[in-house]
Amino acid sequence: MLRKNTYNEFVKILSKPRSFLGIGALTLLILLIIFAMKADGKSIISFVTASFEQTLSFNGHILNGYLIAFIILQMLIVHVPLLVALVTGDLISGEAAMGTIRMLATKPISRTKIVLSKFIAGAIYTLILILWMGFLAVIVSQWIFGTGDLIVLNSDGLTILQEQDILWRFGAGFMVAYLALLTVSSLSICLSAFAENSIGPIVATMAIIILFTIIGTLDVSIFDTIKPYLFTTHMASWRSFFENPVDMGTIMESVLILVVHNILLVALAIWKFNRKDITS
Amino acid sequence: MSNTIIKVQHLSKRFGTFQAVKDVSFEVNKGDVFGFLGPNGAGKSTTIRCLLSLIKADAGSLELFGKNLSSDRNEILRQTGSIIEKPDFYKYMSARKNLEVFARISGADVDASDIQNMLEFVGLGDRGPHKVGGFSHGMKQRLGIAQTLLHNPELIILDEPTTGLDPQGIIEVRNLILKLKNEQHKTILLSSHQLSEIELIANRMVIINKGVSIVEGEVAELLNSTELMVSYEVENANDLVNYLTNAKPALHFQVISDRIVEIALNKNEVPALTEELIHARIRIHAIEPKRKLEDYFMKIIAS
Amino acid sequence: MKTLLSILLLLPLVGLAQSSAKLNKVISKLNTVKDYSVDVEVKADIPMIKILPSKAKVYFKQKDKFKVVSKGIVILPKQGFSEINTFLSDKSKYMAIEGDTSKIAGVVVQLITVIPSGEDNEIILAKLWVDDSRSLIIKTQITTKSNGTVTTNYTYGDMAKFALPSKMVFEIDVKKFKLPKSVAADINQRSTEKKDDKRTKGNITVNLSNYKVNTGLSDELFKKKS
Repeated sequence: MLRKNTYNEFVKILSKPRSFLGIGALTLLILLIIFAMKADGKSIISFVTASFEQTLSFNGHILNGYLIAFIILQMLIVHVPLLVALVTGDLISGEAAMGTIRMLATKPISRTKIVLSKFIAGAIYTLILILWMGFLAVIVSQWIFGTGDLIVLNSDGLTILQEQDILWRFGAGFMVAYLALLTVSSLSICLSAFAENSIGPIVATMAIIILFTIIGTLDVSIFDTIKPYLFTTHMASWRSFFENPVDMGTIMESVLILVVHNILLVALAIWKFNRKDITS
Repeated sequence: MSNTIIKVQHLSKRFGTFQAVKDVSFEVNKGDVFGFLGPNGAGKSTTIRCLLSLIKADAGSLELFGKNLSSDRNEILRQTGSIIEKPDFYKYMSARKNLEVFARISGADVDASDIQNMLEFVGLGDRGPHKVGGFSHGMKQRLGIAQTLLHNPELIILDEPTTGLDPQGIIEVRNLILKLKNEQHKTILLSSHQLSEIELIANRMVIINKGVSIVEGEVAELLNSTELMVSYEVENANDLVNYLTNAKPALHFQVISDRIVEIALNKNEVPALTEELIHARIRIHAIEPKRKLEDYFMKIIAS
Repeated sequence: MKTLLSILLLLPLVGLAQSSAKLNKVISKLNTVKDYSVDVEVKADIPMIKILPSKAKVYFKQKDKFKVVSKGIVILPKQGFSEINTFLSDKSKYMAIEGDTSKIAGVVVQLITVIPSGEDNEIILAKLWVDDSRSLIIKTQITTKSNGTVTTNYTYGDMAKFALPSKMVFEIDVKKFKLPKSVAADINQRSTEKKDDKRTKGNITVNLSNYKVNTGLSDELFKKKS
């Protein structure tokens, strides 16, 4: 039954125009960045390397597909949560608003399975979103710009990664980024279990992400104790794969915190949805 | 299997400070078209939602097909089809896709031809590929009935199925229910606030008011054994009043206007009284039975 | 007037002209190389830049054509790889003053200070430590207007006869390195906890091998964009 309803949930997601809105917007944004890089990539790079270039000369194919992919990821990973929440935020509350929840909850499928199937369908959608993003960012950029070593600007300086040492980092980075987005999906599904309207959970998810991000960036000591436990702190963990050497300890810590978030949020959604009187 | 399909005992449910259902009990037998009657706000919807596990009851027991709802929920729902209030569908999907989605989790094997047959059964045979967003309320109601029947359930629960429909839609839905009763021999629980509707379709019924079940039994028996208010439209109400006061002092009546008098009668007393009035040279323009649910309740409560 | 002043200022140095013969010997040796190509392996140890050893092919042609071809990213000092050769080849542009002798890695070296004569030159001052017996530059210290001072140590192997080193170690100033903050902004900011690299010097070690000298490299080679 879980499999059947997951299929159903996915059919519903694919029938909603807004599901493609996200993918469309993502495609447009990435193509825009690729176009901008094609047109004026050199000056964008020299903005980063300017202070080094008086003393050093950077030789080789710097403006390559990997760099573009990295820039795309860096720029868009902040916005993708909105696209995820847009779809996952009304998975439960949307049914309540539409009234279909009454039909759904009177079928021989437990409420736990309903929530789980929505979570799985949301996870699949998020996966498709990030795979599409990965395809456009890594593959399409490579077609246009070719491959090469990757210059990454980390906060402690430039790291130059060798061409053969990059793809796995993108792979691993995408996986951690996916886990972060999955947390957004779980959060919005969880909020969705508490709400009766479609838009509330979407807005609330974004509000929480913005709030946590601000708390994370504020250099105020009272927030220091909670900062490591905010999921937003770990949303950029994918980037750690582009440091040399890779600090696996920090990444695993982030992964653990994100996984715990997912479990708690889904558990909370299941608990709430099971106790909920459907009166809509 | 026992003959009892639904057995509700002393059900109660409170939302915050509001006691929606206080003490509702009734039994629905196999093959019944069972009327679940009560004015708006009587607790019908809450009771039905409890029956379908949409709402958790505070107290009381709910048994369907001889099984306890809390322990055998899925088993029970597999044999049940329902429409609660108005049927709502995924507007952005076609009628067929909607049915596919619900069929998939109905617990039965339903294939494309079953879905087409069902669409035809409810008169939407050519509407399958159309998005539900563009459907009228009546079409949605019929699609809702198709959805309840897809998995061939033993029990069908319909919550106010004719509410909001135009007269044509009401007749269509009513005929569909009769078709289910006569051709498919389903057990049907039908809630309504209109006695006339129940009288037309149901064989048994329960009446609830303010969250309490008041009376339960055969529709014909319950309705015949109780008095009607029969409205007599005559040329001059005074003549009728004089006659009744002198000749029928036991009868209760009420003057509505200078031409209309309502008299409390049993159904079987109507022919005799009418004959007497004609003999008494009272010119009758119209006789109309008035059986307002509210009046009926008042009587039951009073008795 | 300016020219006159220059001449007057230069007069005392004329007597020392003979002592720059040591430099002239070096220059003539350098000039025997019309062009070369060489495989380089670059190891950079520079604050704020993390890079693994990288390989490239370097092409040079008299008097100032220079090209680096690499598949990956190779960081080289902006000044000092071939510029000093180019600069030294035009004797009219500088004065050379011989200084003390000293020893570097057991080799007796003569310090020659080179002062550019024009004002438009990027190089402000160059100090060369020359092994007179082999006519090889062992060490240079070049101060430029924009890059501070770059010190280079040369090690020679098979190609010493052409004055081409087998290893060069550059020491560069990195005080001016700054990161554009807006681009560096991480969401998670955790990296700020890391200690800032406070070093002001960086090293670039270049190993050179597989020299091909005077093969007649075409000018075309240098025109193509790498």
